[in-house]
Order: sequence, then structure tokens, then C-alpha cells
Amino acid sequence: MSDRPDSVLKDSSKGNVVDTATVELKIPSHAEFIGVARMMIMGVASRISFSYDEVEDLRLAVGEACTSAIDRAARAGRTDSHITIVCHMNPQRLSITVSDPLPYDPNEPARPAEGADSLEEQGIGALLMEILVDEIEIKSSPEHGAVVTMVKNIGR
Amino acid sequence: MDFSLNSRHLDNDTVVVDLQGEVDAFTAPKLKQEIINQIERGVKRIAINLADVKYLDSTGLGVLIGGLKRAREKSGQLVLICPNVRIMRIFDITGLAKIFEMFPSEEEALARLRSTDDV
Repeated sequence: MSDRPDSVLKDSSKGNVVDTATVELKIPSHAEFIGVARMMIMGVASRISFSYDEVEDLRLAVGEACTSAIDRAARAGRTDSHITIVCHMNPQRLSITVSDPLPYDPNEPARPAEGADSLEEQGIGALLMEILVDEIEIKSSPEHGAVVTMVKNIGR
Repeated sequence: MDFSLNSRHLDNDTVVVDLQGEVDAFTAPKLKQEIINQIERGVKRIAINLADVKYLDSTGLGVLIGGLKRAREKSGQLVLICPNVRIMRIFDITGLAKIFEMFPSEEEALARLRSTDDV
């Protein structure tokens, strides 16, 4: 995990609060590392005035994004794949980007179908991400892989 | 990873599977295998105890859905013990609370399992 010196929320030498920060983490695309990503999110989100439930929502949403990446790596036989998680925080919001080099299968929609009235097992993760954050954007291409950007606004 | 699983056989037909910790893509396969093992050995009444589960994701939910399907295919039952508000919320927002029979205590879950003669 890299917590850049210029991106900490509190400047202990001056007692000032820095209002923006970026924290990054890169993990192997293996299920045993999802817990590491969740710990990162707990650490980051706990530095912001989110409620306990909001922190738990973010942990679950990021866990689902990582699980999707791990599933795609396993199906592609890419045991060497990795996931990068980047958190940007400012006084208004926490933005989390989860990216990996493998795109979504075009035959399996990354997001649940609009108005779907039955829930398939594989759609639960996507549904949870949609519900648990304020904004979500999913981009996928063979060139750039999959990028899931989730935003949680502060104080809403 | 914080996860453990313990099965308590109350009689030949009934088991309570106590889960503790985090159920995710890494740990859920252990739960899946345990449910399969119980069904294959002929257990008809399964209660999954989520009281000490701290985290449950879509993989864990998928395993529980699969367990419910397998149990029903064998004319059995699978119910959930879920006094944890946070975990219950996940079932509510996904709509799965309408699919599972969920109870706030082990006593109520067992009363339900033992009230049916169709297993």
C-alpha cells in the first residue's frame, strides 16, 4: 500500500488538515487478497466522517469489484493478473477505482439488466455495487481491461 | 482470514452449521463443500447460523442459494439464523430475504424445521 507523503489527511507538524488525499494498493488477482483490499478501504473510509454502515457498504462494494476481477482472471487462466485499487478523497466525496487488465466478457453484462425482476446468482455482486455507492461507472475494453469507479458522497 | 465453520448434528436429520468471521470468495468454498457433504450424508434439515458472521458478500450469498437449491432437490430444507442487522440488510437489499426462511434465533429456526413433515 502506498500512502504518499504529500497525500495524508492530517499534517501533524502544523496541525492542519489536508483536504485531498490519494491511497493506492495493488494486489494479486487471488481470492485470499480480497481481505487486504477490504482492510485498505476500512482504513481510508475511517479517516472520513462516514458512518459505520457507510464504511461497511464501501468495504462490500470494493470487495465485489475485486471478486469480479478475480473471477475473470480465473476464467481466463491468468494467475499472474493483478488488481489496482486507488482511493481519492476530498471534502465532498470518496472516489474508489478498481481496475484490472482483463475486460468483462461481452456476453456477460457488467451491470444488472434494467428492470430485471429475477436475480441470478452471478448478478448479485453487480447489484450490490449499484446499491451500496452513490455513483458507479464501469468501463471495459480489450485494450485497457476493466475499470470500475465508485463514488460515495460525504454527509449525505 | 477470519473464518471458521462448525457443524452440530442435533439428530440424524438435522444439523446447525455455525459460521464465524468473513464469508467471501476465499472462504465461501469451505461452506459450499460443507453444505454438499451434509446433504450427501442424508441430512434433510440444515440451519446455517450467521449470528457471528462479520462480512458476507455475493459469493457467500451464491453458496447459500446453491445450498437451498440442493436441499430442495433432495426434499430437504435449509434455513438461516440471522440476528445480525448488518447481515440481514444484505439479504434485504438483494431481495434474497424473500427467498430464504430467516429466523432471529436458533430456537425459532429449529422450531420451523421440526414443524414440517415433508422432509
